[in-house]
Amino acid sequence: MVTAGAPDAAVCPACGEAAGPGARFCEACGAVLAPAGASTTPDGTAAPSTGPADAAAGVARPAAPATPGEHGDPGDPDATVAGAAAPQGARDGAPDAADAEPTPCPACGGEIAPDGYCLECGARAPRERDHVERRASDDVGGVSDVGVRRRRNEDALALGTAGDVAVLVVCDGVASAPDSDRASRAAAQAARDLLVGGLGAVEAPAPDAGAWSRLLVAAGHAADAAVRAAVDDAASREDPPSCTFVAALAGPTLLVAAWLGDSRVYWLPDAGPAEQLTEDDSLAAELVAGGMTREQAERSRDAHAITRWLGADAEDATARTVATRPAGPGWVLACSDGLWNYGSAPDVVAGLVRDAVDRLGPDPVAVARDLVGWANARGGHDNVTVALARVAGPAGTDVAPGTTAEDDPGTVPTVRRRPAGSLAGGPRTAAPPTA
Amino acid sequence: MATFRAEVFQNEFLPDGGTDVHAIVTVTAEGVGGAVTADGGVAEVVMIDTSGSMTGPTLEAAKHAAQVALDHIPDGTWFAIVSGSHVAQRVFPYPNARVAIVQMEPGARAEAKRAVAALKATGGTAMSTWLRLADQIFATQPAATQRHAILLTDGKNESEPREQLTAAIRDVTGRFQCDARGVGQHWQVDELREISTALLGTVELIADPADIADDFRALLAASLARGVADAQLRVWTPQGGQVLFVRQVAPTVEDLTARRTDITPLVGAYPTGAWADESRDYHVAVRVPSRTVGNEQLAARVQIAVGDEVLASGLVKAAWSDDASLTARISPEVAHYTGQAELADAIQEGLAAKAAGDEATATVKLGRAVQLAAETGNEEATSKLRRVVDIEDEEHGTVRLKRGASRLDEMALDTASTKTTRVRR
Repeated sequence: MVTAGAPDAAVCPACGEAAGPGARFCEACGAVLAPAGASTTPDGTAAPSTGPADAAAGVARPAAPATPGEHGDPGDPDATVAGAAAPQGARDGAPDAADAEPTPCPACGGEIAPDGYCLECGARAPRERDHVERRASDDVGGVSDVGVRRRRNEDALALGTAGDVAVLVVCDGVASAPDSDRASRAAAQAARDLLVGGLGAVEAPAPDAGAWSRLLVAAGHAADAAVRAAVDDAASREDPPSCTFVAALAGPTLLVAAWLGDSRVYWLPDAGPAEQLTEDDSLAAELVAGGMTREQAERSRDAHAITRWLGADAEDATARTVATRPAGPGWVLACSDGLWNYGSAPDVVAGLVRDAVDRLGPDPVAVARDLVGWANARGGHDNVTVALARVAGPAGTDVAPGTTAEDDPGTVPTVRRRPAGSLAGGPRTAAPPTA
Repeated sequence: MATFRAEVFQNEFLPDGGTDVHAIVTVTAEGVGGAVTADGGVAEVVMIDTSGSMTGPTLEAAKHAAQVALDHIPDGTWFAIVSGSHVAQRVFPYPNARVAIVQMEPGARAEAKRAVAALKATGGTAMSTWLRLADQIFATQPAATQRHAILLTDGKNESEPREQLTAAIRDVTGRFQCDARGVGQHWQVDELREISTALLGTVELIADPADIADDFRALLAASLARGVADAQLRVWTPQGGQVLFVRQVAPTVEDLTARRTDITPLVGAYPTGAWADESRDYHVAVRVPSRTVGNEQLAARVQIAVGDEVLASGLVKAAWSDDASLTARISPEVAHYTGQAELADAIQEGLAAKAAGDEATATVKLGRAVQLAAETGNEEATSKLRRVVDIEDEEHGTVRLKRGASRLDEMALDTASTKTTRVRR
């Protein structure tokens, strides 16, 4: 899947190094070589899929996150968000890196050497992954950013659509395990591809909570397999590359989320109380389950130690799932802890989104970018990833906030959760405690 | 086709406010092939001490060794023989020959052996004249770009002030490489080390004159294995950065810091001489302006260049972090070679103090050397130290100076002091 349609002679989109046929990572800089645009359209699926979107979404190159409105106005259909020339070039098999004017060093204006550092001041040239913006449709988009304090963005974001169902996947590389950026990228893409393909395999994806849950669990397993495949011999390390996993399928009448670790999905209805659908696999969550307040638990020393994850040392890659039926329109938000570190409660997250929509309009990429900027302004201690899908709600039913759809009693919200004590594996530090 | 590669070993993480970056860069040459002598690109000059002290078996052994050397200089190689006392004289080509250096062929070999056999020992020792004559001889054959000399002596450089030798060394530095050999126990290690260090060669003690021939054979084999005539180590530092030091640390410790020539304001070149298939380690220390936590930048590019072509490049990075578990770690390679460089200094300073009669300082320095040799696993240094001091506690470096330690043992320890062991990986 990843190589489908890829040109034989690829060029690394990050550094311009030539790559052999079939190479998945750049020999020079380690960037993943799944060529944008060429790689991610799930061929063979006759579904009304618009295709996963990080494909067209392109590579944002600015040193600083782009300001809202600079790229891709809200409502601009199918807009690539930034750096449109890059995926276009890759699609044509004419890599832009070779032809483009070399980008000067953002720090001093000097020339960037092929090794990725400025020839004058030594500053590291921005990497593609430092700031990534993705758009799957007008209603589905996301932003992943390196943050302020980390050297490398180990979060990964993959989006897609299948008919009117949005697919959001966020994976957060485990910072204490080297090369986890490769793990998270492989996991997110594999899960997204399986979800888009799975939904697309049926003519009109039925909003069936059980089927979607099974699909998400399968996506978790596919992601786990992709991590093991992507990291090669690193899998045998004592501390093998690994990542969290969160995925959401968001249709007008059904939301299902699945997760391992502490990346989250929130459901933020326009009317009615906001909700955190997922329940962290973390020590902090276990402390909360034991009676501690959320604020206390998340401030505790090992709050970021996760108890489940994907990777070679994961004991169980079966994601937990949760389903809910939206009563009306709203936003589904998937994020890494780089966001919720600064605002964990659902009403806080809902307020951020509402405020951003008021200022910027309902463009999911612009809103995600705004939330990322908000987290960075608060310190940006970790990588920050926000994925958003606008959910229309049941057609024609302008249900009053908080009420349950009568034809589907007991499913608002339908939450299936394992007891906290059933978690496999010992604690594991996802990230050092942040200041 | 010779290929070079550079590997960098470092801890790139610096604490908030940190400025100094240390890295060990391992440069490896492969596929070099031997020196191509047939087309006249290689020149060898052998300098034999013929001062009065050489009279007797030492001179006979030296003559034999020079003749063995002639047998091992391949046809096509430019060569000359110099005899040295308080003056230097060209022995072959004969002083009245029209050329100062000739290409080896069977006739020249036979005639050169005859010239060596006729050497007589008389006079004093002024090595500056030997080096200057060798330089003049090499200069007559500019096409021979790979230039190697052997200097053999048995005594002190007694016929001239030290400054005169130092000045000659400075003048010929960069013109040819030179291995220096001392026979017996009456020569000065520091004098020959000054020559070999500047001229990118080695210094060795040959205790028994009978071993000179084998040593010459090995020297020529090593010299002729070097298929890359001259390579430079280049170090780029960023705007606002500075090189603290550049040191070769394996196979021997050689400080290159003062040998810098500027390629550009940001790039300095350091000479490394000729290369065979081999691997050398360099310790590069640079200082860069501190940046805020979360930033990463390049602190140095360490490159190997032949002519103007950069053949390998290693990146030394700096990354500022507030994670003490990252910043507190010292690279094992950096720690190992820092210890080995200190070991060389401790041995040399300890022996110098002992020679000057300062037994207290000698005991402390050589004790520290024992400790460092143990810590860094330098067994050769440990065994040579044992012949000079009695070790009471290796771990704490407690030693007593050995009564009646022989001068030869001290010289052997001194000459070997710069040899390092590779870090265990």
